Amino acid sequence: MIKSLNMQDLRQKLSGAIDNRVRIITAGMSVDEIRAVLRGDPPTERPNPRYKVHTTSFIFHIRPRYYEAGSTVFTHTFRLGFFTSFFFFLELFTGLILMIYYTPSPERAYTSILNLISAVPFGQLLRDLHRLGAEGMVIFTALHMLRTFLTGSYKKDRTFTWLTGVVLLGITMFLSFSGYLLPWDQLAYWAVTVGTSMAEAAPLVGNQLNLLLRGAPDIAADGLLRFYLIHVVLLPLAAVLVISIHYYKVSREHGISLPASIDDGDASPEVTRAAKQRIDFIPDLLTHEVFLVSVGLLILILSVTVFGYHAPLESVANPQSTPLDTEAPWYFWWLQGMLKLGDKTLMGIIIPTIIVLLLVGVPYIDRNPYRSLYRRPFAVGIGIFSVLALVVLSYMGTPQYGIETDAATRIVQDLAPEEGTGPLHTVPFDQLQPGVYVVNESPTQGLCPGLDFGCPELEKAFNLYSQWINTAVEQGKLPDVEAVLVIDAWQKDLVKVTPRIVWSDAGQRKTYEKNVYLHRERGSE
Amino acid sequence: MSRVSIQIFLGSLMILATTLVMVFYGLNEEQRMEDTRKAVQARSIEEGAALFEQQCSRCHGTQGTGIPGLCPPLNDRYFFDQRLTDIGWSSTLEDYIVSTASSGRLTSTRPETYPGQGIPAMPSFSDQFGGPLRVDQIRNIAAFILNWESTAELVEVPSAPSGPPVGADISKELPAGDPANGEALTLSLGCQACHVTTPTGPAWPPTADQPGIGERAATRIDQADYTGNAVNPEQYLFESIVQPNAYLVSGYAEGLMPGNYADTLTDQDMADLIAYLLTVK
Repeated sequence: MIKSLNMQDLRQKLSGAIDNRVRIITAGMSVDEIRAVLRGDPPTERPNPRYKVHTTSFIFHIRPRYYEAGSTVFTHTFRLGFFTSFFFFLELFTGLILMIYYTPSPERAYTSILNLISAVPFGQLLRDLHRLGAEGMVIFTALHMLRTFLTGSYKKDRTFTWLTGVVLLGITMFLSFSGYLLPWDQLAYWAVTVGTSMAEAAPLVGNQLNLLLRGAPDIAADGLLRFYLIHVVLLPLAAVLVISIHYYKVSREHGISLPASIDDGDASPEVTRAAKQRIDFIPDLLTHEVFLVSVGLLILILSVTVFGYHAPLESVANPQSTPLDTEAPWYFWWLQGMLKLGDKTLMGIIIPTIIVLLLVGVPYIDRNPYRSLYRRPFAVGIGIFSVLALVVLSYMGTPQYGIETDAATRIVQDLAPEEGTGPLHTVPFDQLQPGVYVVNESPTQGLCPGLDFGCPELEKAFNLYSQWINTAVEQGKLPDVEAVLVIDAWQKDLVKVTPRIVWSDAGQRKTYEKNVYLHRERGSE
Repeated sequence: MSRVSIQIFLGSLMILATTLVMVFYGLNEEQRMEDTRKAVQARSIEEGAALFEQQCSRCHGTQGTGIPGLCPPLNDRYFFDQRLTDIGWSSTLEDYIVSTASSGRLTSTRPETYPGQGIPAMPSFSDQFGGPLRVDQIRNIAAFILNWESTAELVEVPSAPSGPPVGADISKELPAGDPANGEALTLSLGCQACHVTTPTGPAWPPTADQPGIGERAATRIDQADYTGNAVNPEQYLFESIVQPNAYLVSGYAEGLMPGNYADTLTDQDMADLIAYLLTVK
């Protein structure tokens, strides 16, 4: 029995079996082949087993077998499209986990977010990643489109790909926007109220459209459910479909464009030949993509841990109280800016529609066959002008621009914003010493003689308050002003801070005051 | 080294770094969740404080010490230690507060000492029963009230007036008043529950922009917008206490002050109060 067992025979049989198993798993590559790939050696067999993977594996069959060397130059693509899809998969992954902890109803939504960040391990990390990924996806989609425009990559064979790209830009923005409402905080509620009120301006169907979107004249349970379903079902499905079409065109039909100099025929024959050399997907491109993913993951994780990016969460949505500084998400600021310029229907519906039509029509309007920046000054000029216009309009869309707030209200809002953190919120609790601090009477230093180390942070906030008051007085806004900051010890670990401004207006004394309650453990440092 | 192996090397380093960052982040996760829970509770108390001021302080006092003869104190040792036992409530105090604030009180449980506003003794505050507040807001108010638990002192139930009530006729002849006794009354009657605008004391001493109540009483009756019937400072103070809506100082709403002092103060109490307030110039 023992005699008949030949060790060499056994080893051969075993390695044969392992090799077979590995070939099945890797869809065609043997153990030796994987080694060769990792070492950077040429293929071990013929026909090339690395190409076989592309026919036997589903995942690899939708990827190209090779790119042309010229199209992989970093400064040509900046990997913008790759990172856009990276963010999309990140959103799918984090989003699916977040769905476990979320309930789309006004009574439960906000509580479920609080529960997520205070009772679920890594819950806040997931939420921060999901939010950061959403911002990243919008930014990278826009940059990807800008790059495609500047390199003229939408021309000739790529016109339809450009069209799907425009659709994807829209889907991305609405994906992000529909997710905005879900936390059901003040930020969400009012941003979406402002956003959906745009639909109201549509001619003829405006009211119906608004009603369809909100589920009622005002956003409530029905509206939240609709936005939730749009966010987790409708738009992701649409995105998967359109991304598939977009990507299929790129990988199977026309590939990533080559740098303009080669397409335009400006480069020397050697350069052109080098640019058309094939770079195989396995191992070069695959390794590069995994490398990019690890870069992306590291940057994301560092952003939400070490650099402290956190998804914002304001107080629970309150339809009865409109916050002073209501604003749309930043990628819709340009639209808010336009709305300040004129009629709601013209600026909110007609011009945006024209912009979208122009974007769709770019490849058909621009008949210039050349792709180089220098040979299409007109198109490039329009592109740069559009970006500048977007930036200016976005600035005009912020609440700081063009909305006059009463001076006293503005000062108190700047000192202690209704949402978020102001100078008053950053004062450590122990420095909030009860007392009446009168602007231009109380000392600017040594406000709290009772404290061994004084109260520098309180002094800073109080001096800022005094400074704003005095600036307003210089501008003639608050005649005969008396401004105080009153701090009361209100409860255990709770103080009530009341900035009160009294001034003369048309012969009458007017008062503006606000009560701000600050708890020791509110955690805004 | 080829490009592939450099990328494999750097990529592996970065995945290792990512993992390490995640591990360190995870080590602090328990602490972070605890801090977040505390911050959530703190925000809840802050929000509750603002809501209490808007919705509850008119009857229960800004500091929750109640108004004698009207509404019970909440910032009260009895409320935290004994109340649930006395009424046979089997669940938590938070549930008791949320339940009472949500549905209100048709009739008072202590009609002798705290009759409330009549029927209903306390209105319902939940938007499910026609009130103004959502359930999460009522929970915030409960969090604010419960934050008094560690510091609450026993609030004495004031004794019934020792003589016949003074009535609402401000021209009535009053006996001579004792300012010291008047000052004691402002404390025992709980005036300071509402009349507090400075952190250091009650509302009647002089402040930065106006004189004390004694001086104000003398000048108010001569003002053009004065709508009451008083002809001298004594009557002005008398009127302000027993008919609080006869003249409203601009900026204050009607019905803020309880209207039952005509029935709960004696002639001597009123005289003492007026005597005390007139000394505060």
